[in-house]
Amino acid sequence: MINFVLLISRQGKVRLTKWYSPYTQKERTKRLGTKEGEKDIYRMARIRERKTRDINPNQMYQGWGRPTPDAFVRRIQETEIEEALKRMKSGKAMGPDGIPIEVIRELSGLILTRGPKLCNFVEWRGYKVVYRRYASLYFCMCVDADDNELEILEIIHHFVEILDRYFGSVCELDLIFNFHKAYYILDEILIAGELQESSKKNVARLIAAQDSLVEAAKEEASSISNIIAQATK
Amino acid sequence: MALSGMRGLSVFISDIRNCHNKEQERLRVDKELGNIRTRFKNEKGLSPYEKKKYVWKMLYIHMLGYDVDFGHMETVSLISAPKYPEKQVGYIVTSCLLNENNDFLRMVINTVRNDIIGRNETFQCLALTMVGNIGGKEFSESLAPDVQKLLISSSCRPVVRKKAALCLLRLYRKNPDVVNIDGWADRMAQLLDERDLGVLTSVMSLFVSLVSNNAEAYWNCLPKCVRILERLARNQDIPQEYTYYGIPSPWLQVKTMRALQYFPTIEDPNARRALFEVLQRILMGTDVVKNVNKNNASHAVLFEALALVMHLDAEKEMMSQCVALLGKFIAVREPNIRYLGLENMARMLLVTDVQDIIKRHQAQIITSLKDPDISIRRRALDLLYGMCDVTNAKEIVEELLQVYKSSDSAAVEKRFSCGSPIVC
Repeated sequence: MINFVLLISRQGKVRLTKWYSPYTQKERTKRLGTKEGEKDIYRMARIRERKTRDINPNQMYQGWGRPTPDAFVRRIQETEIEEALKRMKSGKAMGPDGIPIEVIRELSGLILTRGPKLCNFVEWRGYKVVYRRYASLYFCMCVDADDNELEILEIIHHFVEILDRYFGSVCELDLIFNFHKAYYILDEILIAGELQESSKKNVARLIAAQDSLVEAAKEEASSISNIIAQATK
Repeated sequence: MALSGMRGLSVFISDIRNCHNKEQERLRVDKELGNIRTRFKNEKGLSPYEKKKYVWKMLYIHMLGYDVDFGHMETVSLISAPKYPEKQVGYIVTSCLLNENNDFLRMVINTVRNDIIGRNETFQCLALTMVGNIGGKEFSESLAPDVQKLLISSSCRPVVRKKAALCLLRLYRKNPDVVNIDGWADRMAQLLDERDLGVLTSVMSLFVSLVSNNAEAYWNCLPKCVRILERLARNQDIPQEYTYYGIPSPWLQVKTMRALQYFPTIEDPNARRALFEVLQRILMGTDVVKNVNKNNASHAVLFEALALVMHLDAEKEMMSQCVALLGKFIAVREPNIRYLGLENMARMLLVTDVQDIIKRHQAQIITSLKDPDISIRRRALDLLYGMCDVTNAKEIVEELLQVYKSSDSAAVEKRFSCGSPIVC
């Protein structure tokens, strides 16, 4: 599953972010730095640990690593708890959706410094970030450690091709001033962090339909205001 | 091209772009936030256009990394607007600005539900998308039955049904009880007969999640998955728009093979034979071509096929093919393929009887330990750690020591400290 999508420029400016799993929960951020906050973290860790154990034992069959629940649900590690605690203590501001801006900063530091001939995958906090550079823009998708990396790499390209078709040879400037369009388009490609449509034609058609609905509403509104203006003359 | 369609928004974005330093940017953002706050306070005077504009500005500011701690109410309330343009903005900005735990979301559950069960298809799509992206437990409890109905409905168009499938997946992840297993095995089997590949792609994602939690319940779906894979691999009546660089929907192929990996074994001899034929074709027939995207897509399928072969622990003949392929991959220049080769070789260590073949590649793996790419070094390190035993411990440890001396990588240190007790 894709946990989040991130578009950053070479200068580290964010051009789009979309999160499919809340990075941290708001309730916890409210209790920043308190004793209870620490307890919460450990409680969460325990629940998570238990989850990895309690899944139907019938399916604990022997086989290759991936499908066993243990491999499937990532175990929380001590270092992660430490890290989380560190983050909490510093009391850093988190966005309203509970995403520390630090995540973005950390990732851009990791990705933007990579040379051109390296692989497109970066391992990060137990996840993998698949990224691809197009001119001055980096498209990044953070996925679970056992996801198929190349598949994600091509989802990125699929997204870029659709943007390209929509804007007619897309450039960074298009995405800056039309960032909302980029969000509309992304929503037609991904839902819940999964690919929903692999046909470029279908996506293009749906976006065009949306655009014409908005246009139609605009015309209607202006004709109504004309009528009102005429009536009140 | 500054055609955002909203002048105020474009001007604001240009202003931000013209800021020379962070301090200026902050001042400009603060000014804008102050402006929006006062405008929202006197809400009566706001036209729909203005509301949309301010809400987009808030999202832009949020994206820049600033805290936007007001105006959530106004954003959410756009969802209840009767007209499409406002509703659309409301749904999209809400799903970016708020997360599933936000209290304001509770206020719109009813509106969202009305949109989902209503007759307006475009509203249904908007609502399903938002719930699919940020729906939490409460949404799960109150909306799951309606979403299910849309998914299995015969009168809904594919565009609604594919969104419903992924929306249900989200709700299922939040609360597995929303899918009642008894009835769903049959339904799922029906859904896997879907002809529309867009819907099928979404349905397959849902299926992967269901089957990962309870493979036993979905045995009846197994032959269908094999059939889908056959159809794709043979490129049998796959519409042109669903082929990607000449490959019939690589994503659906990957997902289908992923689903199959959750079944412990495949007993039905017919299905088994058909599946192995397909896998054989993928293993043998994937060539390296010039086009990067085609290459990536075909190798995404290939690596998933490798994983499936490893899982099914097939006739040993195929297994040795896999090892040979991986041996080839870890020696190529192309960094992505090398990375994946190393990663999958480490997974392969779990399969019995192949360790010795893997050991033959030791020298090659050690070369990757000195690669300039940290990602590749890590995979090489992991693999060496996994394959280290009495016979090769001395050599590997010596290599590691050398790397350790010349690098500052914390990963090596960590592996070292966990590796030593086993090795010694």
